Amino acid sequence: MTGGRWMVVAALVAAPVAVRAQDTTATAPGVRVGITYTPGTRPNLAVLPGASTAALDSVRAILQRDLDYSDRFDVMTPPAAVSASGDAPDYAALTALGADLAVAVVPMAGAPGAAVEVQLHDVHTGSVRNRLALPLPAGGGEAFRQAVHRAADEVVHWATGSAGVAATTIAFVADGKLWRVDPDGEGRAAIPSAGRPALSPAWSPDGRLMAYTAFVPIGRPLVIQDLATGKRDIVPGTEYGVNITPEFSPDGRTLAYAHGDENGTDVYLYDLRSQAVTRLTVGRFYDNLSPTWSPDGGRIAFISTRAGLPQLYVMGADGSNQEVLAHFDFGSTGQTNGPEWSPDGQSVVFHREVHGVPQIFVLDLATRAVRQITGDGRNEDATWAPDGRHLAFVSSRSGTRQLWIVDLETGRMRPVVNTDGARLPAWSPRRTFFSEAG
Amino acid sequence: MMLKLTRAAAPALVALAAACGKPPAPAATTPAPSARADSLARASADSAARAAARRDSLAAAARADSLARAQAALSRADSARQQVQRQSADTAPVLTAGGLVAADAAALADPIHFDYNKSDVMAADQARLDRKLAVLAAHPRLEIRIAGNCDERGSDEYNLALGERRAAAAKRYLVAHGVAAGRVDIVSYGKEHPLDPGHTEDAWARNRRDDFVVTKGAN
Repeated sequence: MTGGRWMVVAALVAAPVAVRAQDTTATAPGVRVGITYTPGTRPNLAVLPGASTAALDSVRAILQRDLDYSDRFDVMTPPAAVSASGDAPDYAALTALGADLAVAVVPMAGAPGAAVEVQLHDVHTGSVRNRLALPLPAGGGEAFRQAVHRAADEVVHWATGSAGVAATTIAFVADGKLWRVDPDGEGRAAIPSAGRPALSPAWSPDGRLMAYTAFVPIGRPLVIQDLATGKRDIVPGTEYGVNITPEFSPDGRTLAYAHGDENGTDVYLYDLRSQAVTRLTVGRFYDNLSPTWSPDGGRIAFISTRAGLPQLYVMGADGSNQEVLAHFDFGSTGQTNGPEWSPDGQSVVFHREVHGVPQIFVLDLATRAVRQITGDGRNEDATWAPDGRHLAFVSSRSGTRQLWIVDLETGRMRPVVNTDGARLPAWSPRRTFFSEAG
Repeated sequence: MMLKLTRAAAPALVALAAACGKPPAPAATTPAPSARADSLARASADSAARAAARRDSLAAAARADSLARAQAALSRADSARQQVQRQSADTAPVLTAGGLVAADAAALADPIHFDYNKSDVMAADQARLDRKLAVLAAHPRLEIRIAGNCDERGSDEYNLALGERRAAAAKRYLVAHGVAAGRVDIVSYGKEHPLDPGHTEDAWARNRRDDFVVTKGAN
C-alpha cells in the first residue's frame, strides 16, 4: 500500500512539469494557464502477463494501451511471476509492486469459437471484481480491435464508474477529403464524400449520419450522408451561398448550421423530419456561425462578428436572448472560433488567437472563467470526446499539422499518429456505424 | 457556332432538372430579403430568382442522390464552352460579336484587395470596380462571378463567411452602380485558394482578395 501511494505521488510530480515545459510559451493577459493536476486519484493498474497466443497477446497489448490512454490509471506491467493462468494472480506480489487493480486476460475453456475472459481484480481484497466474456472476431482486423476497445471501455467503467472512449473514432479533414482515425492512431481510413474539399464533418448522435460542407462547382451545399449506405442528401436552402459549420442537436432531429449570402451569414436550423428551415439570427453584413448545442438542447453557443472580430455568444435554441458568452475586450482580445459545448454541459471549448496564434481555451459556464489549455505552436478546432475530459485538436507543435489529444484532468498530451495535414476533427459518439459494422 | 453549342448545353441542364421532377423548394428556405434602396431590392429579387432556379435543379439532383450527375452535366457544359472558346480563338484572333478586347478582359479580371478581417471595398479599389462597370455596360450579355478569398489567419470556417462577405461587398458596389444583380454571382473560397503560399504580411495582403471571372457572354 505504502509503496503504491509513493509511486502515485512520483508520477504526479513528473507529469505537470512536462506539461508546463510544453505549454507556457504564450499566455493571454488575464487568463489562468489551465492544466492542474488532481493528485492522489489515479489507481495503479497492472495488466497481467499470462498464457501466450497471438490473439491473447494482441488483446493484452490493445487493452493495456487503451487503459493507459484513458488517463485514469498508472498502468504497469508486472513480471511474469504474478501472472494469472486460470488460478488467482499472486496478490501479495502485486501488493508489493504497489498495484491497486489488475486486469487479466485468460482463455475461456469450452467457449464456442475464439473467446477470452477479461477480469478486473481488486488487489486489496484479493478477488475478482468484474469479468466479461470477449468473443474475438476472426482475422485480427478492425472488428477485432473494436471488440477489444469496447472491453477496455467496460474495464474503465468497472474501475471508475464512467466508460472509456477507446471504441470511438475521430473524423477529420486532410487533403480536402474526409477521414477517420481511432483515438489510438489505428484504423485510419477515408470516408467517401462529395466535394473537394469537404469540410467540417459533424456526427449525428447515433453515429449513423455525417453532415459536412461540400465544395462543388455549383456551390457550397451542406450534405447529410448516411454512413452505412453512402446515400447523400443536400440540406434544403443550402444549394446557394456558403453553408458551413453543421452540428446535430443532441436528440438528432435538428441540424444547426450557418448559411451565408449577400446579406451576411446567419445561423439556421433544419428539421430532418419536416424539412422545415428556421432562421435564428439576423445579421446585417456581419456573420453568425459555428452553432453548438448544449446537451439538453435548450441553448446554442455560436460565433458572431457583431462587435468586430469573431467572438463567442450564446442564445436560446429558438434564437432568443442572444448575449456574449466568453468575455472579451473589444479591440484587444484575439478572434475566437471553433466552439464546442462539452458533453457534461459545464463548459465550452474554443480557440482564440493569442498574439496572432490560435490556442485552445475552455470556458467554465458556472464561473464564466476561461483557462488556456495550449501555448506551444498553433492549436485549434478542438472537439470533445464523449467522456467530457479528453479533447482532440489540431496542433502544429511537432512541426506538421496533426491531431493531438489532451486529457484535461491530467494535462497529458499525445499525438494521434499518422494524421499529417489534419484539420477540423470531430470526435464520434460512443457508437458509430463503423464500430457497429466492424 | 459558339451560340449553337452553348444553347445545346443549356437544355441539357433543364432536361436534367425536369427528369428529376422536382417541385420548387419552399419559400421559407430563402432568407427574407431586406428592404433597402430600390436597386438593392431589385438585386435581391434577381438574386432570389437565380437562386431559386439553381436550387430547383440542385434539389432535384439531391433527391435522386445524383450530385455527381449534376456536376458531370455542369462540367460537360463547361467543356463545351471551352471547346467553343478554343475554336473561336483558332479562327478569330480578333474577338468580335460581343468578344472582349484584351484590355477589357484584364480590367474585368483585375482583383481587389481587403484589410485584415475586413470586407469593405477600399477607396483605392473603387477605380478598379468602375472600370469593370464600364466593360459590363458596354457588353450587356456579360455575366461574372466574384470569388472572395482570405489569408491564412483565422479559422477555416470563419474565413468562408468572411470570403462570402468580401464577394458580396464587390457585388453590392457593382449593383449600386447599375449592374443587374442577376449578372453577378458570388462564391467564397475562404482560405482554401491562397495565391501566395507564404506566411508574411505581403503574402496575406495578396491573398485577401476578390477574383473576378467571366461566366457567360465573353465571346
